[in-house]
Amino acid sequence: MLSIRDLHARIGDRKILKGLDLEIRAGEVHAIMGPNGSGKSTLASVLAGREGYEVTQGSVEYLGMDLLAMEPEDRARAGVFLAFQYPVEIPGVNNAYLLKAALNAVRRQRGETELDAFEFLAMVRDKMKLMQMDESFLNRGVNEGFSGGEKKRNEILQMAVLEPKLALLDETDSGLDIDALRVVAAGVNSLRAPDRSIVLVTHYQRLLDYIEPDRVHVLSDGRILRSGDKSLAFELEKRGYDWVRQEARVA
Amino acid sequence: MSAAAAEPLAYYRAAFEVVRAGDPGAAAQRAAAFERFAAIGFPAARDEAWKYTSLRRLESRRFPVHGDAGARPALPAPLAGHRITIVDGRWRPDLSSQGVLPGGLRLRSLGEAQSDGESLAALLRVAQGGGTERFAALNAALCPDVVLLDVADGAAPEPLEVVVATSGAEPGMSHPRLVIRAARGSSSRIVLRHVGDDTERLVNAVVDVEVGPDAALHLYRLLDAGARAFHIERIEATVAQRGAFLVHDAQLGAGLARLDLNARLAAPQASAELTGLFLADGSRHLDTHVRVDHFAVGTRSLVDYRGVAAGRGRAVFNGKAVVHAGAQQSQARQSNRNLLLTPGAEIDTKPEFEIYADDVQCSHGATTGQLDPAALFYLRARGLSATEARAALTRAFAGAVLSRMDHAAFAVAVRDVLDARLARLLEAQP
Repeated sequence: MLSIRDLHARIGDRKILKGLDLEIRAGEVHAIMGPNGSGKSTLASVLAGREGYEVTQGSVEYLGMDLLAMEPEDRARAGVFLAFQYPVEIPGVNNAYLLKAALNAVRRQRGETELDAFEFLAMVRDKMKLMQMDESFLNRGVNEGFSGGEKKRNEILQMAVLEPKLALLDETDSGLDIDALRVVAAGVNSLRAPDRSIVLVTHYQRLLDYIEPDRVHVLSDGRILRSGDKSLAFELEKRGYDWVRQEARVA
Repeated sequence: MSAAAAEPLAYYRAAFEVVRAGDPGAAAQRAAAFERFAAIGFPAARDEAWKYTSLRRLESRRFPVHGDAGARPALPAPLAGHRITIVDGRWRPDLSSQGVLPGGLRLRSLGEAQSDGESLAALLRVAQGGGTERFAALNAALCPDVVLLDVADGAAPEPLEVVVATSGAEPGMSHPRLVIRAARGSSSRIVLRHVGDDTERLVNAVVDVEVGPDAALHLYRLLDAGARAFHIERIEATVAQRGAFLVHDAQLGAGLARLDLNARLAAPQASAELTGLFLADGSRHLDTHVRVDHFAVGTRSLVDYRGVAAGRGRAVFNGKAVVHAGAQQSQARQSNRNLLLTPGAEIDTKPEFEIYADDVQCSHGATTGQLDPAALFYLRARGLSATEARAALTRAFAGAVLSRMDHAAFAVAVRDVLDARLARLLEAQP
């Protein structure tokens, strides 16, 4: 699904990713953990195509395509979905409009017909129930006046509607209370599928109590220092990130 | 006066003589109005009211007065049940809705009003002051007709559409004049729609409004003239006690446009809500001057315009509120937010307040910015093309004003024109 090789990226003069390698196969859930400033969110941004990041070395192959050569919208249409750490409030752009435009962009790419208003609503209603969102959200501006938890639920709703092949969840657990975390995790778990890969970028192990990863990676100073199964997350929780950094230094 | 400056005046004087020879009525008022125009002349280089708008190109033109009383220009689909059509400044019953007017409305031409004993001085009144007094005077001198629309006491008629069109494949000028009087306690909605084609011409319009006590008048204005049109318009409203004048303005057309929108809150609790949108793309130049005068206790005004400029487009917004002595407990709010879609575009905005009373609330804000890159990326990350994302955000920006346009057909028409224009201008850019 996704092969990242020797990825170097920077913002201005500041080097953030310094030779990152990562291999994700279809159907897998990977957690990328690491301290603040380690490059987790940069990785998610570079994969989604956000402006302001310069890739200076390395490659990213997604389903056989050169991901870094694609425009953000082409990545989205090809099935890459980024759940934003800070979803943007866009007053005046209706949630329903965005969902429908996004869905039809993906469907056109897949060679499917566009949904009419009736089919679209029926489909969205189901997904909103899963995310415990009121239908009135559809007629509000995108994320406009949403609480932190509502914004994150809205991200997962979009993901559920768009059914991406590769979902990147950037700190989706941050700022969530335990009830909201459960709803978000249930939404993500419902999307686990053999042809879909999910990357959870997170600072805390807490999210992994609800979404069980196949692989856990520790990112520090722009590189992956250590990879393992879910037990690595528990170890981290117990011993802290310094432990991994010391181990790496010794090695 | 220099010889060069006298030259256009000589041309307009000749045009006036031609009109006068046709005996349009009200000879004395017209002669006085023309002399007023001649005395003021075109704006000088350092005229503060024309600081950002040059009329040199207009000054160099020698447009003949349009005169074909039988012309049949193409007209858009109607936006209200009943339509009145004005072509080249003449009311054209043959191109207007047939059948009776909505109840509570009365419509007369200058001749009819004159034989009814209406005051010619009132119908051809030239409002003083501001940058467009000269053109209001020229209009009074040259207008072939006055369309006088009365809303009866306490009436709440169905909405009416007034279409102002031009004719002829050759350049020319026309001077439409509309007088609207909303009597005590009435409530009315009038769509004023300027349409045009690609011919170079001058439309110099005057709309004189009186809002009576406890009356509410909504004016929905759509300027959708051609890219080579010069459009100058003065809307002058006087609002009586507890009356309300509400303008919903959409300026989407004309090559060079100037609007002076003036509201005089003449009696206690009178109010004005003047909101609008302008889109200056291509090489359009749109200049809007809004002025509200608070003369009485407890008067309220809200001015809220949003502007978008792209390409080599340029827009000017000048919002002025004057709270006169004695207009205590008045409230004047003003906002002008602008969006530049491309680096070559320009919008100049200037709020002005003059306050001569001490117990008043005034606020204003003026901003000019660009589309939010974070919002653009968010939309693109959901699969919208860069063009779609820019259009969606621009529509959202305009939507804050459009959502106040509570006349459904009008709002749809504005959105349609806006969408078509946005699609064209955003596709043209990388």
